[in-house]
Amino acid sequence: MITKETIDNFIDKIPPAPHALKETLMHLNAEDLTKAAKSAAQDRALNNYLKVLVNKPIYGFRNEVSEVSQIFGILGVNRSQQAVYNYMTTLLSPSKWVLFKLNRVLFYNLQAELSVKWQKILKHLNIEDKDLLSSISLLPASIIVSEALFNDKKKDIEILRSVNAIDLNTILKRLSGLDLFDICEQIALKWEMPQQIVKIIQSSSGTKPSQDEEIDKLGKWMHLLLFYTLSQPQYIEAQLNDFIDFQVEYVGDIYEDFEQVMEIS
Amino acid sequence: MRAVVKNGVGIFTPQGFLDGSSGNAFLSIDDINATISQNADMVLVSLKKVIFFNRNGLDSFVKMFQKVRTSNHCTVGFCDYNTKKYTAIVNFYKNDLTFSLFQSQEIATLFSASYKNQNKNVLLYNADKSQRAAMAIELHDNGHNPIIAQTEKEFNEKVDVENAYDVIIKDTFLGQMGQKVATRVTGNAIIYTISSFLDAEIGNTFNIAYHNNSLNVGFRLFIFDAYKVISMNVHALNFFSKLATGGAEYNASICFVGMSFDKTPKEFKENLEDSGIMFFNQMDDILQDKDLLEELGASSAANIKDKRAINKVTITELPNFIDATVGTIEMMTNSKAVKEAVQINKIAIDKKEDKIASSIGFYGDMDGMVILVFPTGIAKKACELLIGEETDDKELILDTLAELVNIVGGKVKTLLSDENISVDITLPRTYPDIDSLLEIVQEKKGVQVDLAFNDDKFLFFLTR
Repeated sequence: MITKETIDNFIDKIPPAPHALKETLMHLNAEDLTKAAKSAAQDRALNNYLKVLVNKPIYGFRNEVSEVSQIFGILGVNRSQQAVYNYMTTLLSPSKWVLFKLNRVLFYNLQAELSVKWQKILKHLNIEDKDLLSSISLLPASIIVSEALFNDKKKDIEILRSVNAIDLNTILKRLSGLDLFDICEQIALKWEMPQQIVKIIQSSSGTKPSQDEEIDKLGKWMHLLLFYTLSQPQYIEAQLNDFIDFQVEYVGDIYEDFEQVMEIS
Repeated sequence: MRAVVKNGVGIFTPQGFLDGSSGNAFLSIDDINATISQNADMVLVSLKKVIFFNRNGLDSFVKMFQKVRTSNHCTVGFCDYNTKKYTAIVNFYKNDLTFSLFQSQEIATLFSASYKNQNKNVLLYNADKSQRAAMAIELHDNGHNPIIAQTEKEFNEKVDVENAYDVIIKDTFLGQMGQKVATRVTGNAIIYTISSFLDAEIGNTFNIAYHNNSLNVGFRLFIFDAYKVISMNVHALNFFSKLATGGAEYNASICFVGMSFDKTPKEFKENLEDSGIMFFNQMDDILQDKDLLEELGASSAANIKDKRAINKVTITELPNFIDATVGTIEMMTNSKAVKEAVQINKIAIDKKEDKIASSIGFYGDMDGMVILVFPTGIAKKACELLIGEETDDKELILDTLAELVNIVGGKVKTLLSDENISVDITLPRTYPDIDSLLEIVQEKKGVQVDLAFNDDKFLFFLTR
């Protein structure tokens, strides 16, 4: 169904990060928002994306924000970098979703919700680090990879899962030896994303904790945040709730804290 | 979200957070109808992967329970939770707890009559005396050995004794139990469990389509576990007489085990015996007596009646059957299949050694049976995806092979429905060796397709 070659083909087809994007990220890294905005302005698609993203209600801005320089100014360096990485992830998203009942708007909403809530979590944990803030951007790539690899096998997957409660990540691992998060790692490497992002994403799978306590702590929060978000009706209906296995025990020690941060009652 | 049905138990496994809005999103009307049509003996919602729930979240599943119960008379409830979650559910529903609660799936299966592994030593405790008694009766009826702790203190003392019990039951509650005629397969015998008062309702609770198709795929021994039957009226008598007459055409044997005639007219027994039904006191009187088993047809399943020829309708759909099979095996083994030969004749298997087989029947707008003969190597490889690791456990491989053939059946059903041909599929049957398969099919004509997966030969046979 899916072999190592299928995955290699998929990774080969991932486009390198566009020049304007690389430049934007370089300037953001140097904390030069003006130059970053100038570079970003060269990429129309990025402009549009940023406009749509930050004007979503979850970002909470009263007035419409339309200029990139304005957007970067309001978001600041850390959240600007997170937004640019979010855009990079969307470069991989399909024009038409088949496996999941998603569309562009719903996917952007998911990115926005994860990003804003992740920021809230990092604030609670007293962490102010732009790479850590951006790490959440890569998480939805696991959904895109699932869609890309399984979209023409939807019926097979449905029948397989009618006799065995098995998630897409496990199916992929058993068939090819690689899981969704390994592929996300490949994407991150290709896009030269910081190593820390890669480690957190692997840890957020819930099945591959790292040796680093701090990374694992963030991996747990990210794993729980993913399932908290995917428990919303629109994402359950999009059939995202069980594309990977929720590791309840993995997040047991942070759950009460999470409840407080997300104000769950 | 759809339930996964295994051994007659259907399980939903929602993940994450279960509140009023997400609860409704998990279950659509189609999901509920699909659950009803799966005809499981037990429908459960596992809370193993639910980290948070509230009453509104559970309510959507409770509504589904009511619908499924009304249609199918099966046992419904939640399972896989800890004490905190159990207490929360009991508090949410207090006097309105009509469904069951099973601490784990393992515990739930002890209460399912479809469960194969019996004779478990089970320690149980519930603060409610009537619950303790109800659980003990159900467990005993299902062939287990329940040990009841009368107090929590006694329970805790007993729990501490190492290896004394196979299963320990706590935080479990029996709501209304199912009245469905549960089915389980032991070797080549099918065991139906019937209980309480048997009347005209048996016609609704007994799955006659399943029974007929079991006959069609070669089962010849049907045992009614009737220990729990209190009495039978004339409508039920007629039902069983007709069933026996219908089965006689296939040379099938029908037996009643443990039936007491204290409250049933004695002449009913004579009537049933006249129609060919046999009576035994204990299940072991049949299952432990190999000669008797053979005589009753359990391991000699020669098909007397069913010598129907494969017809044009079936041949026309052959590509669908081949596609479904090849697609599934390719998916499971990650290898490519090459078709080597096609012929219409009786099944021909070159080398019988180191091969296992499985079959699945289908019925509806068209009917027939698909038989798959695997070299053990391909079977093992194909099962790895479902098991998650390599194994040499033949029983596990055969069980998993049954799931695999179920997938083939499901695909056939989907492909045919794309052409507006509606079929249902039977439970799959497995054969540990080729001789046991040939007892069923060697006289049948059908289409044989020889396939090669890498260098392994694989055989597909479609017959009626």
